[in-house]
Amino acid sequence: MPESETAVLRTLSETLGSLPPGAEADARLTGGQWGTMRFANGRIHQPHLEEGRLLSLRVASDRRLGTATTTDLTEHGIAAVVRAAVALAAIAPIERKFPGFPEGTRRLVPVAYSESTARLTPEAQGRIAAKALDAARAEIPDARVSGVVNVGHEFIAVANTSGLSRFSRRSAVMSSVLVERPNEDPPVSGWSEGAHWDAAGLDSAALGREAASRVATSAPTAVKPGTYRVLLGGSAASELIGYLGYLGFNGHGEEEGWSCLARRRGRRILPPSMTLVDEGRSRESIPQGIDYEGLEKRKTPLVTEGVAGAAVSDLVTAGRLGVDPSGHGLPPESPYGEWGPIPTQVRLMGGDAKEEELLRETRNGILVTRFHYVRVVHPGRSILTGMTRDGTYRIENGEVTRPLRNLRFTESILRTLSKAELWGRSRRRYSDERGGATVTASPILTGAFRFTSSTLF
Amino acid sequence: MDELLEAGLRAALTGPVVYADVRVVSPQRYEHLAVRNGEASALTSSERAGIGVRVRSKLAWGFATSTQLDAGTARALARRAVRAAVAAGRTSRTPLLVTEEKGPSQGRYESPVEIDPFEVDREEKLRILTETERALHVGPSMKSGHAQFQAWREDKWFASSEGVRFRSTITHVGAGVDATAVAGGEVQRRSAPTSFGGDYRQAGWEFVRDLDLPRLAPSVGKEAVALLTAPVCPTATTTLVLASDQLALQVHESVGHATELDRILGMEAGYAGTSFLGVGDRDSLRYGSEGMNIVADATEPGGLGSFAWDDEGVPARRTPLVDSGRLVGFLTSRETAASAGLEHSGATVRADSFHRLPLIRMTNIDLLPGDRSFDELLDGVREGVYLATNRSWSIDDKRLNFQFGTEAGWRIKDGALDGLVRNPIYAGMTPKFWASMDAVGDLSTWHLWGVPNCGKGQPSQVARVGHGAPAARFRDVSLRGN
Repeated sequence: MPESETAVLRTLSETLGSLPPGAEADARLTGGQWGTMRFANGRIHQPHLEEGRLLSLRVASDRRLGTATTTDLTEHGIAAVVRAAVALAAIAPIERKFPGFPEGTRRLVPVAYSESTARLTPEAQGRIAAKALDAARAEIPDARVSGVVNVGHEFIAVANTSGLSRFSRRSAVMSSVLVERPNEDPPVSGWSEGAHWDAAGLDSAALGREAASRVATSAPTAVKPGTYRVLLGGSAASELIGYLGYLGFNGHGEEEGWSCLARRRGRRILPPSMTLVDEGRSRESIPQGIDYEGLEKRKTPLVTEGVAGAAVSDLVTAGRLGVDPSGHGLPPESPYGEWGPIPTQVRLMGGDAKEEELLRETRNGILVTRFHYVRVVHPGRSILTGMTRDGTYRIENGEVTRPLRNLRFTESILRTLSKAELWGRSRRRYSDERGGATVTASPILTGAFRFTSSTLF
Repeated sequence: MDELLEAGLRAALTGPVVYADVRVVSPQRYEHLAVRNGEASALTSSERAGIGVRVRSKLAWGFATSTQLDAGTARALARRAVRAAVAAGRTSRTPLLVTEEKGPSQGRYESPVEIDPFEVDREEKLRILTETERALHVGPSMKSGHAQFQAWREDKWFASSEGVRFRSTITHVGAGVDATAVAGGEVQRRSAPTSFGGDYRQAGWEFVRDLDLPRLAPSVGKEAVALLTAPVCPTATTTLVLASDQLALQVHESVGHATELDRILGMEAGYAGTSFLGVGDRDSLRYGSEGMNIVADATEPGGLGSFAWDDEGVPARRTPLVDSGRLVGFLTSRETAASAGLEHSGATVRADSFHRLPLIRMTNIDLLPGDRSFDELLDGVREGVYLATNRSWSIDDKRLNFQFGTEAGWRIKDGALDGLVRNPIYAGMTPKFWASMDAVGDLSTWHLWGVPNCGKGQPSQVARVGHGAPAARFRDVSLRGN
C-alpha cells in the first residue's frame, strides 16, 4: 500500500525537530514496495517481494557534514540517527564551499505516476512474467526462456532546516526476456527489454515475441576483429549513452579533471543534429519529481545540437564548481554518492530514421543487439571495453545476412557517437531494475566502431 | 528474536509449503569514512534491520522481506512469500528438489575481532585518513587523493522448518588509498593495497591499523604521477607475471563465476550469464596447467567469504574446484546440487542482506601457492611484463573471452624488472590462459584479498568475497598498451 505523503513528511518533520537547537540538516525518507519475478529455464524461479523504508539524516555543522541512516522509525530510532549524524558532523573536515541547504516551499506539479501499477498483486506480477514466457515459447517451443519483471513504486521525501519539504512518487515496471537455443553449437539467443512508469504501458508478451524473433536460425560464424560500420540496437546504444553520462557529465569528473569532456565544454563533440537531455519529469522517462536533496528535477541539456554542455551537480559539487546545483543529488549515504552526481533520466533526441533505413544505410557492417560487462578502460579518453551478446549479426548490402560469434570492443564512446550518421525516430526506455536511472534511446548507426577480439560463441 | 522467527515459520508452513526459513538481521551496521582532497567525501553511519521469509512448495520458491520487525509483519511476510511461491508454481511443471543436509544444526558464530572497529574513536580514524590522503599529494599533477575506511557488522538470526537455528555475528573491515594524476589529457590512477577501495578482511580495526596507510601513501602518489610519463605498454604476445592482487581478480572472474552451478544450469542466463562449463565436465575438463589448484573455502580464517552456516543453514565447507588443472567441483546450493545429481550442497549460498533472496555466491576462492619465489618467477624471462592492480575488467557471458587492464606494469628484461609502463591490457581465453601458467608463486607471494563488490542477482546484490592468490607466470599472452 503506497505511503501517505502526510505521514512521510511528518516523520521528516519529527526528525528535524529532534535536532539540537541551531543545527542545520536535511533528512530524507525513501521507501516503497517492489516485486521481482525472475524466470529461467521456462519458469519463475526467484519470486521476490520487498517492502522497506530508510531514513537518512545529513547534518551540517558549520559546513561540516555527517550522515546517518536507519530503518528504525520509532522515536528511539530517530533519536539514535540524530545523535549519530550530529556526532559525525562534529568531527568532519570543513566542506569549504558548501552552499547550505536550499529553500523550496513551492508545491510541485506531480509527475506521471500509476496507482494501479503500485497496487499490482504478486499474482498479477506473476502473470506479467508468464505472458513473456508463454509468448516466447509460442514462437520457439523448445527454446530456453529467461528474464525478469520488476514492478513497484517508490517514494522520496526530503525536508531540511531551510524550510524545504517535498515528496515525490515513482512507479515503474521493467522487463527483459532472453530466448536461447543453448544446445546449438555455438548456441544462439535473442534479447528484448523495455520499461515504463505504467505497467499497462509495457507489453511483456511483445517483449517475449521480439526476443524470440531475434534468435538466429543458422549457426553464428566468426568475423575478423576490426573497425566496422555498426548499427547499435537500442539496448546497446542506451548503454553507451549511460556511460557518457558518467564519464562526461559527472560533477566529480569535472572537478577532478578526469572527465572525458573536461576541456570540451561548449565545443562540438557529436553530430550537429544530435541532442541529449536529462529530464527527470519527462513522461518519456520513468518520471521522478525531485532528487535526493529535494531539488526539483528539471530539463538539463547535456549535448545540444552536438555541443557539450555542463556537468551535472549536487549541492556539494555545485559549491566546489561554483555553479547552481542542477538537481542530481544521490543519497549521501550511498556508495554511489562518492562516485558523484550523474544524469539519471537521459533522452536521445533528434533521430528520424526508420528501422529499414538504418539497416539500408549501414550497407556493410555489424548489428549489435546488446553489450555485456562493459567497463571503463580510460576515463579521460572515454574508452570502454565490453562484449556483444544475444544477437550479433552481419549486415551486407543493407540486409541482415547471418549471425556472428560475439565480439569484444575496445572503443571510445565519443568517437563512436561523433561518427553517428543516423538514429531512429522510435525511442524506447531502457532502465535499471527500479527505474532510478533510465536512458530513452533509439538504435544508432555509427560509421566506425572498433572490435578488438572475438569469442568462441 | 525467537518469537519473531517462530511467528514467521509458523505462518509460512501452510497449504502448499514444504519448507520455510526465516532470517532476521538486527542490526546490520555500516560505517564509511572517506577523505578526498582534504574534504570528507563520505562520513556515514548506518544501522538497518529487517526480516526475510523464504518458503518452498513442491514446485517453486517464494520470498518476502520488510524493514518492519515485529511478529505481525513476520506473519504477513510469510503469507506474501506463500503467495509468491504459488504464483511462481503456476509456471512450473517439474518438482523442485533439494539435497538432504546433515551437520551441526544449532549454534552461535562470532567472527574474531581484537579491536571493535565501531568502538575506535572516529576522530582518530579520520585523522589517519586525512594524514594519509594528504601524503598522496606529491605534485601539481596529483588531482585527486582518496583515503577510505569501511566496516560492516551483521548480526543474524536464522531458523528453518528443518530445525536449523543459529545466530551469527560477522564483522568485516577494509581500507585503502588511491591517487589520480592528470596531465595533458592523460589520466593515471594508482591504489594501495589494491583497487576497489583497498583490502578487506573478516577482522577488527587491528587489520586496518596493520595496513599502515600513511606509510603506503607517498609511493602511491609518486607512482600515479610517474605513470603519466611512463612509456605505453608494448603490444606483444609475451610472458606475463601477474601480481597476487591481479591474479585474485583473474580467479574471481574466470574460475569463481564460471564454477557457479546456478550459472551452469541457466538460472542466471537472463542477467549475469552462463558458463562455458557443463555439469558433465566435472572430473574430466582440463581447466589449466598442473600447477592450478583452486578451492572454495568458507572455513578460512579472516576471509570475507567465511561463515559457520550459509543462508540455507548448511554448515561451511572447503570444496576443491580445480585439482592439478582438472575441474573437480562447483559452487552449489541445495537446489542446484540436487539438479546436478550431487549428494550435498557446497554451502555457498548467501544473501547480501535481509532484503535479498540468498543465491550461490563465492566464498573464499583461493588459488593455492606453488613453489617459486618472486625472483624465481622472473628468472628466465628474457622479455616480458609484470602487471599489478586491476584497473578495468571485462569477460564474456560464458566466462571465456576476457580483457583486463591494470594500473601499472613493469617491463621484465633478462629476469629483472626494468621500468614502469602505462595502460597495459592483457586478454585471452580462460582455459588457454590457465593452461599457459608455467610457474606459481610460493607462500611469500600469496595473499588473502578481500573483494567487496561482487555483483549478482535481480534485485542486485553486492557480496563481499575472499580470494587467496600468489603471483604466477603465464606464457604467450596477448598484451597491449592503450
